[in-house]
Amino acid sequence: MFQLNLKIALRNLFRNKVYAIINIGGLAIGLTSCLLLLLYAGYEWGYDKQFKNSPHIYQAMINLNGQNGEVMRTIDQSQNVMLGALKQEFPEVIYGARVTDVYKRLVANGEESLKLSSRYVDADFLQLFNYDFISGNPSKALTDPNSIILTQTAAKRIFGKTDVLNQKVRFENQVDLKVTAVIKDLPTNVTYGFESLTTWTLYENLNQWPKKPNWGSHDYYTLLKLNEKTDVAAFNSKLKGFISRHFSAAKEDVFLYPLTKLHLHGTFLNGKSIGGNIAQVQLFVGLSIGILLIACINFMNLATASTQGRAKEIGVKKTMGASRTNLIFQFMLESFILTLISILLSIMMLEFSLPMFNRLLGIEIVFDYLNPINWLLIFCVLIITGFISGSYPSFYLSGFNVIQALKKTLNFKTGYGLTFRQVLVVVQFSFSIVLIAATITIYKQIQFIKNTPLGYRSTGLIEIPHEGMLYEKFDLLKTRLLSSGAVVGVTQSSGSISNKNSSISGLGWDGMAESDKMIDFDQIYTTYDFIKTTNIKLLNGRDFNRKFASDTAALLLSKKAAEVMHLKNPIGARVLYQGAKRNVVGVFENIVWGDPSKVAGPMVIAYADISDVITMRLNPVKSLSESIGVIDKLVKEINPNFPVEIKFIDGLNEIKLKNERILGTLANLFGCLAIFVSCLGLFGLSSFSTSQRIKEVSIRKILGASILELMTLLSLNFIKLIFIAIVISLPIAYYIMNDWLQHFELRASLSLWMFVLTATLTLLISILTITWQTYRAAKTNAVEALKYE
Amino acid sequence: MIQLNNIEKYYANKGIKNYVLRLVTTTIKKGEFVSIMGPSGAGKSTLLNIIGMLEEPTYGTYEFLGEDVTSLNERKRIERYRNHIGFVFQAYHLIDEMTVYENIEAPLLYKKVGSAERASRIADLLDRFNIVAKKDLFPNQLSGGQQQLVGIARALAAQPSIILADEPTGNLQSAQAEEIMTLFKKLNQEDGITIIQVTHSEKNAQYGNRILHIADGVVKEDITVA
Repeated sequence: MFQLNLKIALRNLFRNKVYAIINIGGLAIGLTSCLLLLLYAGYEWGYDKQFKNSPHIYQAMINLNGQNGEVMRTIDQSQNVMLGALKQEFPEVIYGARVTDVYKRLVANGEESLKLSSRYVDADFLQLFNYDFISGNPSKALTDPNSIILTQTAAKRIFGKTDVLNQKVRFENQVDLKVTAVIKDLPTNVTYGFESLTTWTLYENLNQWPKKPNWGSHDYYTLLKLNEKTDVAAFNSKLKGFISRHFSAAKEDVFLYPLTKLHLHGTFLNGKSIGGNIAQVQLFVGLSIGILLIACINFMNLATASTQGRAKEIGVKKTMGASRTNLIFQFMLESFILTLISILLSIMMLEFSLPMFNRLLGIEIVFDYLNPINWLLIFCVLIITGFISGSYPSFYLSGFNVIQALKKTLNFKTGYGLTFRQVLVVVQFSFSIVLIAATITIYKQIQFIKNTPLGYRSTGLIEIPHEGMLYEKFDLLKTRLLSSGAVVGVTQSSGSISNKNSSISGLGWDGMAESDKMIDFDQIYTTYDFIKTTNIKLLNGRDFNRKFASDTAALLLSKKAAEVMHLKNPIGARVLYQGAKRNVVGVFENIVWGDPSKVAGPMVIAYADISDVITMRLNPVKSLSESIGVIDKLVKEINPNFPVEIKFIDGLNEIKLKNERILGTLANLFGCLAIFVSCLGLFGLSSFSTSQRIKEVSIRKILGASILELMTLLSLNFIKLIFIAIVISLPIAYYIMNDWLQHFELRASLSLWMFVLTATLTLLISILTITWQTYRAAKTNAVEALKYE
Repeated sequence: MIQLNNIEKYYANKGIKNYVLRLVTTTIKKGEFVSIMGPSGAGKSTLLNIIGMLEEPTYGTYEFLGEDVTSLNERKRIERYRNHIGFVFQAYHLIDEMTVYENIEAPLLYKKVGSAERASRIADLLDRFNIVAKKDLFPNQLSGGQQQLVGIARALAAQPSIILADEPTGNLQSAQAEEIMTLFKKLNQEDGITIIQVTHSEKNAQYGNRILHIADGVVKEDITVA
């Protein structure tokens, strides 16, 4: 029986090729997107869970409290003394490690020098995370202060091989370190990723600030392992007041948060986790289910629409003694065969699309064929898909009345009511329409933000890190660069013009209110030519100038800063800044610094010789590649030990919209797929329905209907459905996108044209889809069609 | 074997009853070959459908093999299809996606007959109907007469006690029709299978041993053929 059913199902597929292609193609696309998104969700889900100790690793988080003890902000960095104090006072803490932010550090092997993402860590870091050691001993690798651990790829990049234990490297051009271990590359879904690890002692030896016990500065990540039996909630309540006991001025509380939850639930409000990347994961899982559902609906619709062809088979089988269960099994089997073929196809499609998907999201997902979990996942998807798509057709078809089935008088309801099949089509299109509307909104928002004036001219602006010999020889570099003609402006500053990296509060000025002390000002330190180089628009006053010796204690304010300070005549105003009075010499137009979707905050530019970045404006009359070549050569000459890294400000600004862009691309991609799969289904449905109405069409034709009239007649039923879908989905899309836009301070408005465009697009695409079928039906030879009645 | 008592069938439409069958009472014994005749719309097919339990009468009782089967649940009805009744249709109704062999095999599968037994029965039927050479062909590769032969073979495969045939030769040319009717007669006489057929043709009716004439839903005549 099973064999026979199998054979028949396959024969059916071969006989109805169009039907099979639509079904398998649609399902395969749906399954591929579903698998892709599920893999991605799994990747996000697996963040930081790869380690043996993962369930017991906690990160010290700090709630900063306001005046009345309410939590103002939750930060993930803590003080350099936090770990020691915790270990000393609480036996629950077994071990832990301080970790610095990841920085690009210069690592050199003789002539070969490059920058590796590095962290300084305490030795117990290797106890927390059991990395795969290719060589070296985890318990000793970080005991000698002058040790360095490299990942496999990092070792290959420096030495060309991984067998490099005990080799020497020059670190930051300052000290020689010995390679004490080489580990396998880390998975990309870890919070604390790196290419090389160096010791905390080295950090203290190279710099002064980490050594000094300091309860006032939050600069490091503190990770620790708790006794496995510890109740974390109870432990956290014990930590209340812990910091103020050590540092009475502090208005903050430390608490421990599981590392495994940090990535997905790392956004805090009022001291409570309110989500994080989990929202994106949920969104993706929702999308994947939606697309798979659309594909399943195709199957259901086509299977039930082909009823007439199969009615006879069902009737005859029933007279032969087939029970309803027999028939349900048969249709289920057919659905499973189709799903199986589609899933095999989709694994191939997955293999092709994964690299692109990875590139798009900047992640590294591989489909591991040897991992039984993956096959279990596929098996589950197979069962669910097969079952969902097979269920409705099986129950519907197997319920036919024998006599009606054999006489072909099965009545298909017409009229104003919606059949289940029509409801399904409406669901499909509603989903697709929401995705299209989302795509349009996201792109509009991106465009809106891109069109928001930056306040400076980013085109032709480049920056390089200020490091090594460039500190001593900055003036020489500047003179050489300017005289080469490659650039028209050079300046140094404490941070990039593209990204917010510093702020300050506690400024003082005449006529300020007490609460004004809390105002947070963005700040940049610079010396000369910052305004000239970046082309920030000066509204009033002037830039720092060498001619005025007093300018070394001068200040520039942004328009917004002058506003919040309520300065009537900002020029010449005296501002208390970091304990010293400074003169305001100029007011400049607000610039976009940091998050471009946020309203610009107040900003001060202060004269100070503290610099991390050198910014230059390229000479517009010279060719780009030529200028870059000249800059590269000049910088290399002065600072030979460091690779030259030139970044374009335009590029840096572009990166800030990465998340929105990814979301836009995904909505676009999956929206297109959803509409494509829906249209495949519509194509199949219209082909069945027109073939059923061929007699009616022929009679009308004989009665004198024109081709256009006939096509309209045939299309109308479908257009009606699309209309219903539009009416249902546009309010939903409006609601969702309005909600999404609330995340942005600067946001595009939702306008009518976007929804009109969505509706028109959908209608147009669907009309195009059914036109071919209706045209063919309207053109049929009436005599041919009527002859066989 | 079959006992029909006061069978009525009507369709109510806006309060008006449209009768298809009125007070039909008859007995059909095992081994009979009954032809139901009458003009179009007389209710012949409906009567056959009721006998075949494809339709339920609106009123009256129906006993099949001594059991009241007037309204059976699906499971019990299927049991009777599997073991007692074989259907033959005017339009053959072979399953297009199955070969001749598979078409004949299908009822045996539903009846859960073992594979060896299945093979021997099918081989027997193919042999008997001279269609061994055609066993791997699909229905659309056969002539009408051949398709009907397969239809009958399929009906016989489950070894039913009764065959219900609705105009079995209605779509056939006369030579082929004759062949089919001869076969029916042979099955009836040699194998003792009860046959009930609906037919328009007086000539075909003569192959059987009893004729029920129906008009306007009423049995007008019940003739025994010599």
